[in-house]
Amino acid sequence: MTEFLQALILGLLIGGVYALLASGLTLIFGVMNVINIAHGAFLILAAFITWSLWRAIGLDPLAAIFALTPVMFAFGWLLYNATIRPIRRAPPAASVLLTFGLALFLEGIMGVIWGNTSHSVRPEYFAQSFEIGELFLPKAQVYGGLVAIVVLASLYLVLTRSWLGRAIRASAVNPQGAELVGVNAVSVAALTFAIGVASAGAGGAIASVLYPFLPGSHYQWIARLLGIIVLGGMGSLPGAVIGALCLGVAELMTVTYIGPEWATGVPYAFVFIVLLLRPQGILGTRLRQDVATA
Amino acid sequence: MTDGATTAVAEETLKGGGTPPSRAPSKTLRSPWTAVIALAILLVALFPVLSDDLYYQNMIILAMVFAVGAVGLNIITGYAGYISLGQGAFIGLGAYTVGICVSDIGGSPWVWVPVAGVLAGLVAAALGVVAMRARGHAFVILTIAFLFLVQLLATNWDELTNGTGGITLPIPTWSVDYQYWPFYYTLMGLLAVSLVLSWWIRRNKFGMGLVAIREDEDKAATVGVSTPTYKILAFVASAVFVGMAGGVYGYYISFIDPLGMFNILLSVQIILSLLLGGRDTLWGPVLGAFIIEWLNETSNQEFQGGNARLLIFGGLLVLVVMFLPRGIIPTANRWIEWWRTRGKAGLAGERLTGIDLRARAAPAREAAEPSGPPLLEVKGLEKRFGGVRAVDGASFAVPEGSITALIGPNGSGKTTVFNLIGGTMTPQAGEVWFDGQRIDGKPPWQRAHLGLGRTFQITRLFREMTVLENVVAPLQGFHPRLLGADAVSGREARRAEDLLEFVGMRKYRDVHASALSYGQQKLVELAQILMLDPKLIMLDEPAGGINPTLIERIGEMIRELNAQGKTFLIVEHNMPFVLGMCNPVLVLARGQTIASGTADEVQRDPQVLDAYLGEDFRLEEPARA
Repeated sequence: MTEFLQALILGLLIGGVYALLASGLTLIFGVMNVINIAHGAFLILAAFITWSLWRAIGLDPLAAIFALTPVMFAFGWLLYNATIRPIRRAPPAASVLLTFGLALFLEGIMGVIWGNTSHSVRPEYFAQSFEIGELFLPKAQVYGGLVAIVVLASLYLVLTRSWLGRAIRASAVNPQGAELVGVNAVSVAALTFAIGVASAGAGGAIASVLYPFLPGSHYQWIARLLGIIVLGGMGSLPGAVIGALCLGVAELMTVTYIGPEWATGVPYAFVFIVLLLRPQGILGTRLRQDVATA
Repeated sequence: MTDGATTAVAEETLKGGGTPPSRAPSKTLRSPWTAVIALAILLVALFPVLSDDLYYQNMIILAMVFAVGAVGLNIITGYAGYISLGQGAFIGLGAYTVGICVSDIGGSPWVWVPVAGVLAGLVAAALGVVAMRARGHAFVILTIAFLFLVQLLATNWDELTNGTGGITLPIPTWSVDYQYWPFYYTLMGLLAVSLVLSWWIRRNKFGMGLVAIREDEDKAATVGVSTPTYKILAFVASAVFVGMAGGVYGYYISFIDPLGMFNILLSVQIILSLLLGGRDTLWGPVLGAFIIEWLNETSNQEFQGGNARLLIFGGLLVLVVMFLPRGIIPTANRWIEWWRTRGKAGLAGERLTGIDLRARAAPAREAAEPSGPPLLEVKGLEKRFGGVRAVDGASFAVPEGSITALIGPNGSGKTTVFNLIGGTMTPQAGEVWFDGQRIDGKPPWQRAHLGLGRTFQITRLFREMTVLENVVAPLQGFHPRLLGADAVSGREARRAEDLLEFVGMRKYRDVHASALSYGQQKLVELAQILMLDPKLIMLDEPAGGINPTLIERIGEMIRELNAQGKTFLIVEHNMPFVLGMCNPVLVLARGQTIASGTADEVQRDPQVLDAYLGEDFRLEEPARA
């Protein structure tokens, strides 16, 4: 029972981090109909920068979020305008291939700068745990999960309470309609992409403490995040949160009861099961527009 | 008038108009490229005999492995438009099949190469079944998940794969004098076979269906293409020879491990080959594979591979998508085409004149009584989108031989009713009966096969196809043999030309659909569904967005076809157009049929006035007719 409870709590905590990362991905998909395959590479990049900051000046990885979020936001904005914007009218397949290319390129750059060896960020609380009764909760996981929830909550506030948030949601539902009421869909898309990348930055800083990483880790991350948004319903923010919590718990349960070597397989299993049973995901709904372009 | 039309036909035939138009991309390539291709094949075929340079022999062998991969990928990605980022997994799957069979069962690796192909095909079929219900993006994600899943299995399933330790294959037993020849010529044979398959698919109905799916999948289904079958077969076709090439590749490398065989860079190399060479071309993937393999070797030699390879491949992928989206061969063809046709004027728009329709029509039948037995019957149809009840218990009948109108205010659910009848959407409740059969459980293509044809509110032609190909694309049935039939047979071409003549669009038969005006697209779409020889023709706003002359023409055509026995169901906002022609008229409001009858009756119905003007429309008690 303790074992189960421990896996459940840790799963939910890690699920909070996944939720933050997946929100950016699903937001970008919802607004631009772009599957950002480079999302994993963005978060690994953020993890490496966090590592460098921690190594150089001893900056706490969770404090690094404050530095990383604006930097990644700017990076995302520039990248959108330089690469995705010119092809925004091309068939959707083009953006998948483009972001895939970006992911490979970033992986190469990270390999050149930081080398292809495993890195991890270990602040002094890394090896410590909270002990509640028989439960052992590593401090890194608890702090990481809580910070992720705070960042995610602020993202939600931006999306629900600000003009930008309304513009983003309007563009997601109906880009032409949004343009008619004065929303510049292109700049909204650029800002959305930037927000998505910024959230990957914040999530990457947290993830750097939780998992060791190397440039090639981004594949595993993107597979995980794609599994989450497929499960939750592509483009749905609440869906991404539910999917992330499910995946976090399922991974921890797999580690506890089946074997750690199979944990990476959980998101792939998610993809297969969801596509077979409910292709639109948990919270995805089919709308009129999905079927008839009329 | 009749003579004039016949003469025009004869003239067209003399000009070579009677033969099917170019359909395979290879055909357009043939003239400028034949010599180059023949020379290249000869060079590759003779290379090992002429030179004993093992460095280049190795490079060509690897290039051919990726060429087989790219030719396969072209079938699912180039023709059908579905991107697979996991195509490299079939190489690994093939290699593992051969490796495991040799080490567990024994025998020569060559024996197991065909088995590798079969296994790759079966796995692709299974994946296709999973992906069948999902569209576009989900397929990309599925292929990524598939690649990583098989890599994980190969890593963790120790008993079968020896995990990360990998499998070592026996060293070839033939004389060193023969160098890598057996690998070389086997792969060359595989490449030839996959090219033949690719060419054959593209020139027949199967390939045409795939292109239709790429252009507009829903539309393809409504004109009779059974899309899941096509997609699954295409995915299988894209995997079989890649699996076999993978088997040969594994034997050639002689060491098989999860990281090498299921490396995503194999997929990247295959995708890049296809994109660079040119999607939807026969030779593009081969050309691309040779260029990319050369780059690969160069990056390994000059920069010790690793990160340099990632930077080159990643950067190239970005650049190709942004600046060379069509790939080398199609871009080169465009330049050649531009060079040849410079200075010539295009086909100008033509004034529509009233063609005597009877001249081209089959003997006119006595128009059936509008009150005849129902050809289409809808009972209690319901469709909700989240909380919105778009269709809320609609019931009506379309008498055989009638021109029935379905009118109603904006948002009353007319187009949704069309989608439910046509099968692009499934209702939550209710029944649809057509020609004595219940069809609400059937997929759209089966409804099309039964004789139900529809147009869309906004025209949906296959934009990359010519007008003639668009008209020929509909299929009246499904049969395995049909897949292998010529894309455009002579008989079909003649029938399609007759239909184009009927709608006045014959001059445009070789023009790409994307180059047509909106009104012209409407006419072609009408000809397209007539190709199905439907019993019921459903038109969604045939008069929307076109000029009054054309509206009149379309009205004439509808009457003429009706006189030949076609039943119509028309959604339209142009009231003079509808009321002058249709009987009965059905009125839909808030997802329910609130009135039906002749134009006069409906116009006087107070409920109809309420629905349109909405002055004291009561929400509490929805009125039914």
